[in-house]
Order: sequence, then C-alpha cells, then structure tokens
Amino acid sequence: MRKIEAIIKPFKLDDVKEGLSSIGVKGLTVSEVKGFGRQRGHKEIYRGAEYQVAFVPKIKIEIVMDARLVPEAVNVIREKALTGQIGDGKIFIMPVEEVIRIRTGEKGEDAI
Amino acid sequence: MDNASIQADISSIRNPSFPDERLNFALRNFRQSKETLVSDFLESRIKESFHQAYSEIMDYYFRMTIEESRTGQSLFKKGTLFALVAVGGYGRKELCLHSDIDILILFNKGIPPQAKELAEELFYPLWDLGMDLGYGVRTVKDCLSLSKDDFEVLTSLIDIRFICGASQLYLRLIEGLQKKVIKKSASSYVKWIYERNDIRMNTFGDASHLLEPNLKEGIGGLREYHHIMWMAKAFLNVREPEDLKDLGRLSDNELNDLQDSVKFILLVRNHLHQLSGRKNDRLNFEYQEKIANRLGYKNLPKFPAVEQFLSTLHSAMESVKNIHRSFLALHLPKRNMKVSIIPEDISKEILVSDNEIGFISSEVINTDPPIIMDIFEQSCRLGLPLSLEARRQIKEFLNLVDDPFRSSERTVSCFLKIINGRNTVETLDQMFETGLLDAFIPEFGMIRDRVQFDAYHIFPVGRHVLETVANLKSLSRQKDLLLFDIFVDIKNHEHLFLAGLFHDIGKTGKGHARRGSQICRNILKRIGYPEKWAEEISFLINHHLLLAETATRRDLNDEKVIIDTARLIGDIERLKALYLLTWADSKATGPRAWNEWTENLVQELFFKVLHILEGDELATPGSSKKVMKLRSTLKRRISGDIDQPDFDRLFDAMSPRYKLNTPPADILRNMEMVLSFEKEAVVQKSTAFILDVREDRYDGFWKITFIGKDRPGLFSDIAGVLALNNINILSANIYTWRNGTAVDIFSVTKPLDSIHPSETWEKIISQLKNIFSGRLSLSYRMSLKAYPSILSERKTPARPPEVRIDNRSSDFFTLVEVFASDRIGLLYLITRTLFDLQLDIRIAKIGVKGDQIADVFYVRDLDGQKIYDENHFNEIKDALLYHLSGKL
Repeated sequence: MRKIEAIIKPFKLDDVKEGLSSIGVKGLTVSEVKGFGRQRGHKEIYRGAEYQVAFVPKIKIEIVMDARLVPEAVNVIREKALTGQIGDGKIFIMPVEEVIRIRTGEKGEDAI
Repeated sequence: MDNASIQADISSIRNPSFPDERLNFALRNFRQSKETLVSDFLESRIKESFHQAYSEIMDYYFRMTIEESRTGQSLFKKGTLFALVAVGGYGRKELCLHSDIDILILFNKGIPPQAKELAEELFYPLWDLGMDLGYGVRTVKDCLSLSKDDFEVLTSLIDIRFICGASQLYLRLIEGLQKKVIKKSASSYVKWIYERNDIRMNTFGDASHLLEPNLKEGIGGLREYHHIMWMAKAFLNVREPEDLKDLGRLSDNELNDLQDSVKFILLVRNHLHQLSGRKNDRLNFEYQEKIANRLGYKNLPKFPAVEQFLSTLHSAMESVKNIHRSFLALHLPKRNMKVSIIPEDISKEILVSDNEIGFISSEVINTDPPIIMDIFEQSCRLGLPLSLEARRQIKEFLNLVDDPFRSSERTVSCFLKIINGRNTVETLDQMFETGLLDAFIPEFGMIRDRVQFDAYHIFPVGRHVLETVANLKSLSRQKDLLLFDIFVDIKNHEHLFLAGLFHDIGKTGKGHARRGSQICRNILKRIGYPEKWAEEISFLINHHLLLAETATRRDLNDEKVIIDTARLIGDIERLKALYLLTWADSKATGPRAWNEWTENLVQELFFKVLHILEGDELATPGSSKKVMKLRSTLKRRISGDIDQPDFDRLFDAMSPRYKLNTPPADILRNMEMVLSFEKEAVVQKSTAFILDVREDRYDGFWKITFIGKDRPGLFSDIAGVLALNNINILSANIYTWRNGTAVDIFSVTKPLDSIHPSETWEKIISQLKNIFSGRLSLSYRMSLKAYPSILSERKTPARPPEVRIDNRSSDFFTLVEVFASDRIGLLYLITRTLFDLQLDIRIAKIGVKGDQIADVFYVRDLDGQKIYDENHFNEIKDALLYHLSGKL
C-alpha cells in the first residue's frame, strides 16, 4: 500500500477529485494548507500600509491506495492539476505499513 | 462504620431482595406500561403527552411499591411520617425516555435506621433495569438549611411534586422554602441564576452549537424555560405557567408561544433519546434527518424535510430565548446604570424610564401606528432598549403594519436612520424579535427561520443576515487595517449596509443571489429609494458570491479571469463594497467559510482586480461595452469561410488586449489566417506560420501580420529577420491567444527596393522558414551585417540608453522599459537579450518618437512568473545597457 500526498492549486480540487473517483479511488482527505516552494508569496500596498502574503494557499490531498493503482492515480493528478504555470504543486508517494478501519478493526486493503 | 455494617452493605447490594410478589407485579406493570408507551410514541399515537404519561407511570410504580413495602408498612405502624417527592425534571413531569429520575424521601424529624432498606426496596429494581435514578433521604429541616447555602439544592427543590406518603411533610417543605429561604435570599438567588446563565452561554453559546443545538442547555433550550419558571415560582409564587398569564407577566400570545415551543423541543428531545439510546441533549447531524422524518416532514422540491424541521426547531428555540431574555431582564437586580440625558425633542408619546424606552399607553399606537417605527429609531439613537411592555404592545399591534405604513415617508426615513445609526444591530435585533422587521419587510419573513442542513452555515438565515450587518457595522472600529481603510474609502455606507441586510433575501432555493437582487429592487422601489442607488445595491446582492467563488474556483494567475471579473464589477467603489460584503457575509456564515486561507485568496483577487480597475484600459466601462458589442458586430460580418463553432472557439481564445486594440475587419481577417495556419500546422508541425503583408497607402508604411505557434524567442527572430532586410519596426502589437497561437502585428518602414517590394517579403518569408528549421543562424548573419563599413554613417546617440524595471504596474508581468536612440536592428538586440535571460515577452509596446524609442516589454520567466530577484533585475539592466551602447 502507498500513500499519495499531492499539493495542488485550490481551484483544481474538483477536477482532481473527479478524475480520481473515475479511476476508482474510494476516499481521500483534503486540507487547506499554506506554504511556498519556487512560487513565493507577494506583497501588497494599500494606502501606504504593506500587506505581506508570505505563504501561498494550496490544497493538500491525501490518499492511501493499493500500490498497483499508484501510477494511474499519479497520471490523473498530474493531468488534472496541470496549468503549466509555476505553483502547480507536487506529488509525494510513500509506503504505508498498515491500515486499520477503526469501526470494524479490518486491516490492510480491506480497510482502505 | 464497623466491619459488620460494611458487610451488610455489600450483601444487600449483591442480593437485592424483592419481598413479595406484589412488588414484582409493580415492576412488571411498570415495564409493560413503559414499553407500550414507547411503542405508542414511536407510532405517533401519542406525541407531546409522552413526558406526562411517563411521569405518571413512574408515580404509579412508586405508589404500588410503597403500599406493599414491608419497611414502609413497619414505618407506618410506628407512626414515622415520610413522603416520596419527585424532584427536578421528574417533578416538572418533563421526563424523556432516558432522563435522570430524581427523587427525595422526606422524613419529619430524624432519619430512622430503616430508611436505607426502604430506599433499596424502592430503587434497586429500577437500577437493575438500567435506569439512571438518583435519590436523597432528608428531613424537612435539612432540606431548608441545605438550600439556604446551596442554590443548586434550592433549584432542585423548587420543582418538587408530591408522589405519595405524608402530604403534610411536602406542604411544610414548600411553605418553608417560600418563607424561610426564598424571601430572604431572593436577590442573591436571581444573581446566581444570572451567573449560571452567563456560564452556560459561554459553554453552549458558541456558534458551533447552532449547527447541532443542545436542546437542554443551548441558547433557547429547555433550561431557559426552567429559568423562567424558577424565577416565577420564587418571586411570584406561581405553580403553573398559566399563572404567569393571570398575573399579567406574559401575554396570551407569549404564553401560547412559550408552551408550544417547549412542547416541541421536548418532543424532539424524546426522539433524540430514543434514537441515540441514551440521555443525549445534543441534536447531532446523524439524527436530524431521522427525526425530521419521524415528525412527518416531507421533502419539497426546494426545501428538504430536514431543513423544514430545523427551521421549526430554530424558531421554537428563538421564541424561548426571547421570552427568557425579557424575563431575566425584568427581574435582574439593576446594575451600574449609565446616566443618560433624555433629549428634549423626543415625542411626548414616548417615555424613557429606568433606562428603557416605552409608550405612554397602548392608545398612542392605535391612533398613530407609525410611532412603532419611531420608537425603534429613538431606541437606536439613544442606545436604550425597548421595555418589555413596549415589545409586547408592538407584537399585539403588528396587524397595523399595512401597505401605507410600509411605504410612508416617515417610517422609511426612520428605517434608514436606524440603518445608518449607532446602535443599528441592537435595534434591528429588537425589530427582528418583535416581528416588526418581518411586518415592515414581509419578504424577510420568508427566510428568517430557514436553515441550511450542512456543516457550513451556522446560523438560520435571519440570524445570519443580522450577523452580516453586525460585521459591516463593526468595520468603523475594525482593527484589521486593510478592512478599515477600505471601509473608510467607500463613499456611501448606506448602500453597503442595505446590501448586507438584503443579501440573502432570495434564499428560498437555488440561485438566491439573482432572485434576491430582484426582490431587493422591489423592496427598495416600495420604500421609494432612488432608482439609481437601488440598482447599485441590487448589483451588490446579485454578485455577493462573485469574489469568494472566483477566488476559490478560478485560476488567479490567469489574466483573463481577473480582467473578466474587473469588467463585471466595473468600478473601484463597487469592488471595495463587494470585498467588504464578502468578508462580512462569509464571517457570518461560519469558520469554514472565512479563515486566513480563504482570506488570502480573496485578498489576492481583490488586489489584482483593483490594479486592473485602477490603471488598465482593459477594464474601463467603455472597454467592457466595446467587447460586448464586438462579438455581435463580428457575427454580423462573419463570412462563409468561418463556421459558427470555429468562430466561438477563436473568439474565446483571443486575448482581452487583442479584442480591444484590433479593428473588427482585421479580427475577421486574422481569424481566417489562424484557421489556415491551423490547417498548415497539421502538416508541418514546428515550422508552420503565416505572414501577411499589406501596404498602408496613406501612411506609406507596411503592415505585417505574423501568425504561428508561440514560443520564447519568436519575437526576436522576427525582429532580426526584418532588421537583416533593413526594415525598421515602427510599432508592434504582439498577442498570444489562449490556444497558444501568436498573433503579432507590426507596422514597418517600406522595403529599400520600393519598386519590387514583394521580392523583399518573399526573401523574408524564406529566411524565417530557414530560421525555424535551424538552417539559418540569425546571430551570425547579424554580426556579418554589423561588420564595420566605411560607408556606414553613425550618429552619436542624442541621449545615453536607459533601462527601467517596473514590478508594480502589473500583477502578471515584470515591465522592462527601454529608452534609446533608434536604429535598425535595435529591437532585435533588445529582444534577443531578453530571450538570452530566459524571459518570455508577452506584450510589447513599441514607441518611436523621432529618432528615439521608448519600448515597454511585459515579460515573465519561463515558469510564467514575475521576476522578483534583485540580482536578476541588475543582470537584465546591465546586459541591455551593454548591448545598447555597443555595436551590432
């Protein structure tokens, strides 16, 4: 099993979500996050006062899935989240040792 | 306690003894009756009467058990008086399915040793059934002295009810409470209730509790009804709610309202207990739909059952809250009063006393109904609340609010004064509670109790709207500097406040913003509001979601998104009002709708749109109209070569700047060219392009249009080829359409060979082809051309070249401004240098004045971002200056 973490532009969430469910991803976790990479924040001036936006708002998606599904999922995320501009985000993939569904105690793939 | 008695204790717990069969019968009977009662309830044969019936079944169990209890009998024989008394919710006959049952065994003087056995006989069977039962064993005297010290005890005793046994004990307790406790500590008791209320509000008053209300402790919950009754019992010596009406403390309507609301809340609470299988007062999401279903609400097309149910519940809790609030206020020990000066101009029908404002009599309302509006205006101006009496009178006289009232100049002017006043929110709140707001603006009544069933909206619509106005009103003392500054910059605050008040007036289903703007237009027309301003307000309402939706759902780095938004909004004042309205509305919706994350996005959009509106010709009102007209103009003139889908596709692909700066005839021609370029591009993928050349007969210049696939360095290639052929560029408009097509339009000097110009153009076309396919090195050819010749006459530059970098003027590009003396090849040099520095030129404004050029290039790096790095700035400047001052 693998966990995919993807940082994407906020307005791409719906597209990515749709794309993922079309390839059979059953659930995902979404959070509103902020940060910076090569895309930096910016500064605004209004009536002499400066407003610094140090971090750029992004969406983080987390999905745990069967390792075999990962390549397809990554393709879908890339395709749907791409604008070709800076700040399109990143995808991280990491191994998952175990998954347990709290309600039933099921483990492994059954619990995904 | 010695060992033996501990042992006895333990054994009695292990072996609860049921002394005879009758007791078992009492228990069996209790279980059976309870089961029947619950199934009657579930099948809706009984509803609100459950609580009373359940309490009576309970009473019956205790009476039967006592009658046959051995311990009870022996106490009777000895002449020891005792009584069973119900306490708390059981005393009030408000038992829900899993409510605690509190009971008191009352003795006369001293507690006999058998008391413990008695309790066991009575209560063990119930504990064995898993019921939550608490009991106390006390003498009347104990009760009285305990309740003097501990108001918690007093409160539980206020609701006592006699079940069985010696009734004289019960009567003595009641009398004692009244004479010895309540009379002496009345004011500290009220203070205690008030403090408890504050604590409760702090715990349960937070917004999240509005989503999943706590039916007992929450705002408008049963506890508030209990407060009313406790105070009434303590001070007015009443026993039943009806007494309050007889004493004139509540009007007929208020009493009915209170009783109906409490019944409804209890009914919901009982379903909640049954569904969750335990004592639970918080109406969690998971139960809301089920209960709506059980109560018989049916889904309507635009109004789901669960939302109907929650609306009813909220309005019931709102009623309890209001009656509770006025009741508390009336009995509160008066606290530090502000001395206020009663103004002289107050009308004589209105009376200020005790820091409250009221009518001198009901008569004045009858003879002059608009005075209802006057009194709120006075309340707003003076900052004094309406007296309870005045609120009641207004409620009773609401039928006097008719059409003439709603549109009379006097009431409308009061209404607007309230909107602009200092205590707007408090006043609107009172108007909301008394029902005047609904009466004056009937459209408001349609939405006030609507609830949205989701985790996003924490207030019912009516509350949400008042909360929005409160947020807008708070802007004048807002600590957030940006919000404050924007607020101060807005000229007309009244528009903003009215937009806040009416923004959700259309919330009776989907598309509420648009519907709301229409409804608002009607309301403003009715009250005679100037049409031009009404238009402004309904614009704000129609688009009150625009900023939030665009910020979270669209690409803010796409210039077109920003320009479209700017065009729709049209002017700066509106943008500012929309921003504030978005903030106030979102903040009143809930923490999910407005947090730092959303704020950042909306703020980014705000600034980008602001910059466009401030400086750019693209978003002036004229330009918006022009673009709108352009589409229909073009459609009319469309020729047979372009079909409809192609037209729509290409029109949407054009950049805003292109649409604005290109004459319609040229646009149509360019479209045809783009179509044939697209055909060609299928065959020769990388090298396809179209070059169109025409002579401008009047000016003696030539106009070149290049169409091809856009890529970095393209501009410099074209400029280079032209320079190679001794053609000077006088102006350049370079556009990139959204489909990646470059449409570059140049105005150039005529070829040296003016008799055979086409030869030059053909040469240029073939050179371009060779460059694109890598068979011609432009830099090499240019260096050959620059080889010093004794023939070349070089003027000394009139002024040294200058380069400025401007990062302020655009949110999407860094502007590189170049000033230098003009010469052939200069543009090639500049664009080549920019290409070297990995800069993508998206817009170029070429200005030639005499022999001076002033060019502006809008550039981004290859990632599409502006340049922020100081070193990068200096490199750009130095590189350009080096090339400009050097030789070709």
